[in-house]
Amino acid sequence: MTTTAPPAPVRSRPSSPGGRGPSGGVLNKRRGKVATVIMLVLAIAWLFPLLWALYNSFRDYSYTQTNGYLSFGGWTLANYENAWSRGNFGLHFKNSLLITVPAVALTLFLSSLVAFVLARFSYRFNLTLLGIFLAANLLPPQALLIPVFRMFREIPLPEFMSSSGTMLNSFWALILVNTAFQLGFCTFVLSNYMKTLPHEIYESAELDGASVWRQYWQLTMPLVRPALAALATLQVTWIYNEFFWATVLISRGDKYPVTSALNNLRGQFFSDTNLVAAGSILVALPVLVVFFVLQKQFVSGLTLGSTKG
Amino acid sequence: MARPAPRDPRFASSLPASVRGVNRRTLLSGALGAGALFGAGSLAGCGSDDSPSTSGGGASAKAGNVKFGVNEAKGSGPAYERLQGMADAYAKKEGVQVSVNAVDHNTFQESITTYLQGSPDDVFTWFAGFRMSQFAEAGQIADLSDVWPIDGMSDAFKQASTASDGKQYFVPISYYPWAVFYRPSVFEKNGWTEPKTMDELNALMTDMQGKKITPFAFAAKDAWAPMGTFDILNMRLNGFDFHMQLTKGEQKWDSPEVKKVFETWKTLLPYHQENSLGRTWQEAATSMSKGECGMYLLGTFVVDGVPTEAQEDLDFFTFPALDSTIGADALDAPIDGFCVAEGAQDTEAGKAFIKWLGSAEAADAGNNAGSAPFIAANSGASTAKYGALQKKSVEVVQNAKNIAQFLDRDTNADLANTVVTVALQDFIKNPNDIDKVTSSIQQQAASILG
Repeated sequence: MTTTAPPAPVRSRPSSPGGRGPSGGVLNKRRGKVATVIMLVLAIAWLFPLLWALYNSFRDYSYTQTNGYLSFGGWTLANYENAWSRGNFGLHFKNSLLITVPAVALTLFLSSLVAFVLARFSYRFNLTLLGIFLAANLLPPQALLIPVFRMFREIPLPEFMSSSGTMLNSFWALILVNTAFQLGFCTFVLSNYMKTLPHEIYESAELDGASVWRQYWQLTMPLVRPALAALATLQVTWIYNEFFWATVLISRGDKYPVTSALNNLRGQFFSDTNLVAAGSILVALPVLVVFFVLQKQFVSGLTLGSTKG
Repeated sequence: MARPAPRDPRFASSLPASVRGVNRRTLLSGALGAGALFGAGSLAGCGSDDSPSTSGGGASAKAGNVKFGVNEAKGSGPAYERLQGMADAYAKKEGVQVSVNAVDHNTFQESITTYLQGSPDDVFTWFAGFRMSQFAEAGQIADLSDVWPIDGMSDAFKQASTASDGKQYFVPISYYPWAVFYRPSVFEKNGWTEPKTMDELNALMTDMQGKKITPFAFAAKDAWAPMGTFDILNMRLNGFDFHMQLTKGEQKWDSPEVKKVFETWKTLLPYHQENSLGRTWQEAATSMSKGECGMYLLGTFVVDGVPTEAQEDLDFFTFPALDSTIGADALDAPIDGFCVAEGAQDTEAGKAFIKWLGSAEAADAGNNAGSAPFIAANSGASTAKYGALQKKSVEVVQNAKNIAQFLDRDTNADLANTVVTVALQDFIKNPNDIDKVTSSIQQQAASILG
């Protein structure tokens, strides 16, 4: 968990002005120790609640009720079974999948199109456009709650797309809203990344007679794959974790994504905290899996863009 | 929709209920849209003014496919089972389709505004009192005065279903009282009896403290929980009418009457569990069930918070009179029930359904389907499935002259949930600064209630 600075290359002291050598060793031994301790403390502070939830998710509620949460024992797997069946997680995981995958794909596709144009061509309004995308990104989504809600209420959808007849209560609404709110960030990252691609490639492509579409699809897209992978990881996490819009735009219990459905485990008055802990672990798992699987892309993708620019 | 509901049966029953529900809903969803559209068109053409108020025949003539919004998640326990049971019984009886939209209780309540303005179901579960009245004034729920009177519903229930314009907008199904709970075995062991007067209660509390038992379990982490104490003290000290006027903004929160409530509460606080701000009601209920605390003022849902072996060993009494001129005949007993959404696709089918929901037959259908019963509002409903606590609840509520709905249902939701909750927690933190607490509520109440 704690990624400490490697002690070996530290010896070459960075005393010279601006001495951040390519080896990256800016920490001497003592500083390295301090950094390790700080990171350890922070890591524990962050991990403790998660581990505590994990620990208690394997314990029986009536056991912890009588013995307190500081006790040891009462092991059971029933919380997970109950959480899965009571929370109806099978259905809600499917809902989350149906929202997240199209939303991420659409976001990446649209933002790469914009980013390509912004990075590749120089129009007078390029910077303004990028500015607008960024500015919109700073707007808190909550501020747009009422306009979006009213707008979606007025947009009719055919019966086969939404049983309510409007955008409300349909996955389309959630896919669109999530796409819209993530576009700004993705465009920003991708356009910066695309700007780092050598211009000569495009010149030779042009000489070979490649159309703009071909330059985008067959030249740029393969080259920005690390950035796309990094963004995909982030976007899956963010959209999957999105809770706010789902509860606002959807009022049918069987259409909630899994994050909103976690509330199914709480009763009106009574809530079995161990059961909720088990449910939360289940809900958090996909994000963790995506993150660990794509971790390499994630780091390399983001840092590549930053250092080259 | 709280009720004595044993925890274990709830889990055991969750699987079949949810499986049944999934199949039903996916099967129905396609057919339903078309049916509802036809139904709405033809019925609207007939004109909606002729009322089916007199006979069940009239209502059944208009029965149609109906969408039913339910504030309990699918498979979440007895409360869901009862609502689903009622929906199934109606569907079978009338040969119509009832499509149940089950959303968990808290989410349903928090998103009620967008729900009603978006695409609400025809009939949905809701609460009596100001919370209902608020939507009636906003024109978001349908006038049900042609559904009333309902056989077996007393005047008190009709009153609770009436909004400020004098019309009914609500049909009750069940209720649960707030009272002082205790374990009879603990009382017996110590030779205690239920206190009938404040003097007896004082003596009891002193005796408990002498035996190293905290008299009252108390929790304020769930911010609504202390409202129960405020309600009962206000009703005992200033009377039911004053309490209701206060909730409607006709009396001032910084009046000497309200200050007296807090003064009295302050003298009682030493008899309550300390550090209540960090304790949930479930933890408080646990400490009562363990015998660390003698009593706990809470709704009957306290049963859910105690271990199974203690569930059989629970009894309650109503809070004794503090002022003999006012007596002890008022209590909190929140009523749950149903409304018809104004923006619904088929209001007429909704009305037919809601009229049936008010009947004793519906209550019985619900109680037969649930693994634990509710206390039916309809006096004709069978009490065969009631446990001892529920039988006593019926008696207590029937003997009560006035019934309040609980502070957060009796007043504006914003005032209750954002102002009063914080103020009560401040008071518990620092019981000496009553003036500041009351004047802060009054200031904000004036701006919220207008």
